Amino acid sequence: MRGADYFLKRTLFALVTVFVAITLNFIIFRATPGDAVTGLRCQFCTVEFKEQLRAELGLDQSKWEQYWIYLKSLAQGDMGRSFVTREPVVDEVLEPLLNTLPMLALGTAFAIVFGIIAGVVAAWRRGTFLDWGNLSFSLLFYSLPTQWLGLMLLIVFAGTLPAAGISDPFLEFTDPSWWETFVDRLEHMILPAATIGIVLFGEYALIVRSSLLEALSEDYVLTARAKGLRNLAIVWKHAFRASLLPVATLIALSAGYLVAGAILVEAVFSYPGIGLVTYDAVAERDYPVLQGAFLILTLSVVIANYAADLLYFKLDPRIAE
Amino acid sequence: MNEPVLTVEDLHVWFELERGGELHAVQGVSFELRPGERFGLVGESGCGKTTTILALMGLLPSSASVAGRVLLDGEDVLARGEQSVSPHRWTDIAMVFQGAMNAFNPVKRIGDQIAEPMKLHGLAEGRSTRQRVGELLERVGIPAARASSYPHEFSGGMRQRAALAMALACKPRVLLADEPTTALDVMVQAQILQLLAELADDFGLSLVLVTHDLPIVAQVCERAAVMYAGEIVETGSTDSLYHDPKHPYTRLLFSATPDLYGEEDVVSIPGTPPRLDRELVGCPFAPRCDRVFEPCASIAPPLRPTGAGHAAACHLNDPVMRVAS
Amino acid sequence: MSTIASGPGAAGAPGDPGDLPQARRRRGGVVWSIVRSRPQAAIAGNILLVTILVAIFAPFLAPYGPREKVGPPFAPPSAEFPLGLDDGGIDILSLIIYGSRVSLVVGFAAAAVAMLIGGAVGIISGYFGGKTDITLMRITDYFLVIPDVPLMIVIAAIWGRSLTNIIIIIGVIYWTGTARIIRAQVKSVRERVYIRRAQALGASDSRIIFRHVLPQVAPLLVANTVLTVAVAIFAETALAFLGLGDPSLVSWGRMIENAFVSNAISVDAWWAIAPPGIAVAVVILACTLLGTAIEDALNPRLRVGHLSVRRFRLRPVPKDAA
Repeated sequence: MRGADYFLKRTLFALVTVFVAITLNFIIFRATPGDAVTGLRCQFCTVEFKEQLRAELGLDQSKWEQYWIYLKSLAQGDMGRSFVTREPVVDEVLEPLLNTLPMLALGTAFAIVFGIIAGVVAAWRRGTFLDWGNLSFSLLFYSLPTQWLGLMLLIVFAGTLPAAGISDPFLEFTDPSWWETFVDRLEHMILPAATIGIVLFGEYALIVRSSLLEALSEDYVLTARAKGLRNLAIVWKHAFRASLLPVATLIALSAGYLVAGAILVEAVFSYPGIGLVTYDAVAERDYPVLQGAFLILTLSVVIANYAADLLYFKLDPRIAE
Repeated sequence: MNEPVLTVEDLHVWFELERGGELHAVQGVSFELRPGERFGLVGESGCGKTTTILALMGLLPSSASVAGRVLLDGEDVLARGEQSVSPHRWTDIAMVFQGAMNAFNPVKRIGDQIAEPMKLHGLAEGRSTRQRVGELLERVGIPAARASSYPHEFSGGMRQRAALAMALACKPRVLLADEPTTALDVMVQAQILQLLAELADDFGLSLVLVTHDLPIVAQVCERAAVMYAGEIVETGSTDSLYHDPKHPYTRLLFSATPDLYGEEDVVSIPGTPPRLDRELVGCPFAPRCDRVFEPCASIAPPLRPTGAGHAAACHLNDPVMRVAS
Repeated sequence: MSTIASGPGAAGAPGDPGDLPQARRRRGGVVWSIVRSRPQAAIAGNILLVTILVAIFAPFLAPYGPREKVGPPFAPPSAEFPLGLDDGGIDILSLIIYGSRVSLVVGFAAAAVAMLIGGAVGIISGYFGGKTDITLMRITDYFLVIPDVPLMIVIAAIWGRSLTNIIIIIGVIYWTGTARIIRAQVKSVRERVYIRRAQALGASDSRIIFRHVLPQVAPLLVANTVLTVAVAIFAETALAFLGLGDPSLVSWGRMIENAFVSNAISVDAWWAIAPPGIAVAVVILACTLLGTAIEDALNPRLRVGHLSVRRFRLRPVPKDAA
């Protein structure tokens, strides 16, 4: 089977990366002078409590033993317990993830659609005002700090759109229809998604533009023109498909940004996703939750990259040769 | 019927330069192509030969301006610019590009790309398309089953053959071949040239072969024109160009070919071709010519007949000029 | 194959300075000449220069001190305080001016760290090739995938919030991108004739690297570092927003965090939020423009667009036919 080799290599790479992340997680946490527990400051952190924690976390054992215990528990899906709520980290982290994903998907969809439109228009009308204007806006949006944009949008839309949370807490009491619940959720999702989408769109537009321009300067475009194809047909049938390749790569690369963006916008909009969990965990120095969130986020990015690798394979027959 | 199938009359092409000003890349080129003829267009890199044939199909970028007439069966295809030239693309005139390796879209199959112009111009439908593609591939020496391959799965020579097959897809009458054998190794070159000649005969094509490589002109073409600095400086049968050149450039050109037996010295032409972004005064070759004399620097020589089917742009052939100097 | 030979003195491939003395001098000024010749690079460079000057001369330029309470909390912009006051009654304009110091220091220092590590890894990997190359690149690949901001957050949360820590953390996260790019460039430089000549003459590896490879790679390294500055400044604002910035210092990132935490939104105090974000955006934009302008100039792509809405034009035949 063509590409079995490639498939295997990418799978192996994904698995090793996850393993590296897990190990990194371990090292960072346990490699501090003293240990993470010593530096804890919280209202119930008495000396006895800290000793208890140490025993619980197995900090009194050798590093290698700790590592082994860590790996074993991970394999069983045990990521420890939150310092703050004493609930299992897995519960604290996975459910909010389900809130974050649709929000990120909405934002990314927004960025892709508008990015492709803007990029194609800019490449098509290269050198004109439309191109230059698009370039400037793209760069501008790309340079805005995400959290700041979120705050500004919050100020602007404070009256019209919900400012926080994932849903209207009082809606339940009015026995809402499926549609009303959906709209409510959407209203709460729009601002955080739009924030991420706006920052991302700039980068997408730039890449689509440059990749389309690159494709348009290829020899096969001249050949297509010589064969009698009309401009639109050439762009659609030839240049566009070839220019999609870098876009697939870009989507994978964005995964890294999406994760950062999620943390920032969920903090701004108090949106109860995994980003907000991370934010709170940092504020409260709830290390187990922080580590759990980090692992989940890394896993998501690895999966996204892996999916992009497979997509790339499908789009470009030259890969795996 | 000996009417020329293609007549080029006083063709000029200018390119806008980014830093301002213009490049006069083709300066008043005229030639005729008879049915079934194999015509060579020769010259060093940058002399305007590629630009000339691109202009014949209207394949110039938006920075270009064109003047002159290109008559296909008496009709001027450049009369209304893009509008009048595009209907003839591929169905009347087709082209094989320099570096045909890159003429194919890497993410589409070869067969699909050959079928594309056929479908576009309504020359085939459905199953018969696949059959026709298969026939074309076989004709150029590629097994029909390879139609489902991607371009990168072909060797350079095979891609060149596929490009030829693609060019013939709509049964054109004129085939323009721009450096079809550059970047191929010698053995493959010979095969491709032979294939080209066969196809021209079988399909009744008129061929314009553009190249800087003289031996292949001698091998394939019956007539040829030599271009220098955007102009045609000599035209005639390949035989007479070889053995009785009437322009110093042609003579130096053909003697610059290293002798296979190493008995003669290699002659190179000192200097470089003139810049085409400024107007030239006098003969463009004068600065490098070994037979330059008085009128050359100030008066541009016109292309004058020097014998049957032979013409050259050089004052040396003009008895009036020679006496007056 | 016979071709027409042009005259004597045919130069080597264009763009290959080789080891001619004038070329070496010119190479030192490659980045400078690019900046001078392209308007967008020049404007971006000027913006950065102004920002750096503002940072250096902050005490002279700022009307008030960065901790000086001069009025009521969240006072709106007025003639006296053009950008208003923050939640502690401190002049925002002064905060912006002083904040530039930390933001720029973190940006440049972290980028420098990333450049040193990434450049070294890239050069070693590209020059020596083989097992070293494969190993180093594998490691780089793993780190490229692991998301940068979450990793920084975890490290900063555990290891502490000092300025030095932040700089090191950011630098250590971002060296990977630089390494890949530099490696690719080094690989191509390595194949050039004069490198082989130097090797044949018995020059040591470190000599070749420092005298031949590094100067060739330097402009690209500069471009990449400038782009890293942009990323580093963004990273600083992200870390600061999560409360992981140095608590004793003012930076633009901290100003945004402070505005958020002190609920500037609820009192509609946009002046506490807008200026620091705009300042960050301007600097990031300038760095991005400058960096990409240099990069573009180093990879000239003189490609013709074969398609255009506009077509070739027609002209009448010139009267004075040659």
